[in-house]
Parts: sequence; C-alpha cells; structure tokens
Amino acid sequence: MSQHRPQTESELVDYLQSVDVRAPDELQRKVQALIADSARARRRPPWARIRGARPALAFKLGGATTALAAVAVVLVLALSGGGAPALTLREASALTLRAATMAPPAQSAGSPRQLAVAVDGVAFPYWEDHFGWRASGTRVDRIGGRTITTVFYTNGRGRRVGYAIVAGTPAPAVSGGRIVWREGTPFRLMRENGTRIVTWTRDGHLCVVSGKGMSGATLLRLASWNDDVVAA
Amino acid sequence: MRTLDPQSLSKHVDRLYRTAWALCGSREDAEDLVQETFARVLARPRVLQGDDELYYLMRVLRNTFLTGRRTASRRPVTGAELEDVVAADPRPTSRPEQAIEMQEVYATIAQLPDDFRLAIVAVDVLGLSYREAARALRVREATLTTRLFRARKQVVERLAPASDGGRPSAGEIQREGNGTSGVLSGGGTP
Repeated sequence: MSQHRPQTESELVDYLQSVDVRAPDELQRKVQALIADSARARRRPPWARIRGARPALAFKLGGATTALAAVAVVLVLALSGGGAPALTLREASALTLRAATMAPPAQSAGSPRQLAVAVDGVAFPYWEDHFGWRASGTRVDRIGGRTITTVFYTNGRGRRVGYAIVAGTPAPAVSGGRIVWREGTPFRLMRENGTRIVTWTRDGHLCVVSGKGMSGATLLRLASWNDDVVAA
Repeated sequence: MRTLDPQSLSKHVDRLYRTAWALCGSREDAEDLVQETFARVLARPRVLQGDDELYYLMRVLRNTFLTGRRTASRRPVTGAELEDVVAADPRPTSRPEQAIEMQEVYATIAQLPDDFRLAIVAVDVLGLSYREAARALRVREATLTTRLFRARKQVVERLAPASDGGRPSAGEIQREGNGTSGVLSGGGTP
C-alpha cells in the first residue's frame, strides 16, 4: 500500500476516482432479482389487482372493461391514500397475534398446497401436510385504508402463527431489521415488542408472519415455503 | 419529470457498492446497504423531477444508512443466527493489491464523522457534482464544500505513516457543531 498511499488531497481524489472494484456477483444477482420482481409487479394487469377477481372471468371481460377497471384501481389507490393514517408494520404484525374471528379456510381443491382463500389472487399456503401446521382461524381487518386478511395456523404443540396479507399494491414500505434471501426473495427479519416478525412481498403484496415465542428460523422456514411449486 | 426506469438501475450497482463500502467500512455491511437501498427504491414507482438517477440513489442510500444506524443503536445487541450469516464474496476485485489499498482507504473514510464521510463518498467515490451532492445530503453547497475539504484532509492525515506524526488523535477528528448525523429530514425518505 505504501507506494500507492495518497499523500495529498488531490492524490486522494485521483485514487478514489480510479478505484474500479465491481460489486460481488451475488449482490449483482440479488439486485437483478429485485429489478425483475419490480418489473413483474408493474406488469400485472389492472384486473389482477381487483380483490376477488378470478383471472379466467376477468380475462373474458375484454379490453373495454379493462380501462374501466384501471379507473377503479386508480380510485381505490387514491382513496386509500386520502387522509387515512398509513398502515404501520406494528399494526399489521399485531393482527397476527390477535384472536381469530372466523372459521379457518379449507384446503384449496385445485391447488393442494394452498388454502381456499386469497388476497388479490395471492393465496395463503396450506402447511398441514408439509409442516404439521393446520389452519385454525381467520380474521379480516381494515387499517389505514388497507384490508388485512390474517390466517392463523396451529401446530400439534399448541403453538400459533399468524400469516397476514395486506391488500393493495404497492405494498407499504418497510425498513429496518435484517434481510435474509431465500430462493431470490428478500425476507426481512425483525423483532417487535419481543416477538419475531418476518415480512416480505408476494406479487407486490406485503406479507407478515409472526407468532409468540416463535424463532426467526421457524418463521422464515414457513414464510419462504413456496406454495406455487407443484408437489411431486 | 419522468418515471424512474428500474432496468436502468443495474448499471449503478458497482458505483453504489463502492460508495456503500466507503460509508460502512466493510464489504458485508456495504452489500446489505446496497440491497436495502435498491429494495426501497424498487418498492414502488418513483418519479424523478429532472434529477439524475445517481443523485436519487445517493439520497436513498444516505437515508437508508442513517436510518439503519439509528435503528441499530436502539436495538439490543444479539448474535446473528447461523442461517443469517452469508459468506462474503471472495472475489471483489481482479486486482488484489488494489483491494488491500482500498480496504485501508475505505476503512479510514468510514472512521470519519458521518457528515464528513457522506460528503466524501458522495463526491469522490460516487462522482456526484457538488450541487447534486449538496442536494442529496440536504445541506448547502458551501457546507458540503467545507465538509469535503476537511474530510479529504483528515483521510490523508490518517493515511500518513505514523512516523510522520500524521495520524491525528481521536480529539482531532471533530464534528461540525450543527451536524445532522442520524437525523432524517421530514418527508425526505423516498
């Protein structure tokens, strides 16, 4: 280093400007994955963002109603941002610890790795066969102009986990915590009031998984399980 | 006014990585900071008001860095879980000798007070103009110029061999009175 050590301010400037170190390949890949995810989320047609719309049915609506749907989506987004206090992660994660208010959803008949309940087309996973966590209840709340649907899962030892999906895109911004990558998806691990939380996005929707006394590793394993994969 | 094109961001990864490295002083923290910065920028469509993408990225990087510092200072220290530990990329550069030099220079920059190091990374590492850097860091251009001058001077002094008496004591590294480290301006987080 000594022979290259900048001796003066101008040498330092020259040196800093001459550094050509590249970002590690792994980082390049992760950024590319983020860019691809972002592009995918923005390419989704308006009908795909309407709660409860079934793709096959929506497809039949044709181009004329697509424009109408786009206007509706713009209105929904505008209303959600108009005056209502923004949803916070604390509020979203708190819902995962509350009591269920509705019966649990059944396993999806068409997609056995999913439950028969979805938010904007984003389905809740069916964990019973793979992890032994069965769906035990549901609740739906509305905070800050957003609808949050939470499905609760319980395992054989009586542990409970809440899985919340926030309706509407783009997802509320989340920061802080530690980012852990699984299969090209960034999961954010954090702690709120002593409870571990994992957050990430699916098709542009914020998802939160949390449970009292649960380890980050367990939550991450559950959250990162890919229910889209067709079972062999 | 134009919408930020996500695809155009990939060409800035290397520069942003070097900037983050100089800011954090370690490659691992730099990787986290760059990921977090891109994740924030890409979380929703962004509108640039005649601004350069690099300026915008610097603004988000700065906010992310300062937010992370504030969060970390409030968080109790806990050990990382095994699965959270990711091996560092062993091939940061094709010139090993430069990597060693760079580590020392960047580590020296990372020891500066926040205001000074943000100034030097924005201008000398990332390559923003004084005007862009001042806007990204939310300070007046004159303030940025002063901080940049002091930052460069302190880095050179710290890099000087100990026999020259050039390495300053901790007391010589001083902050400006109205430093803004660790504080985000209201509504400024993109």
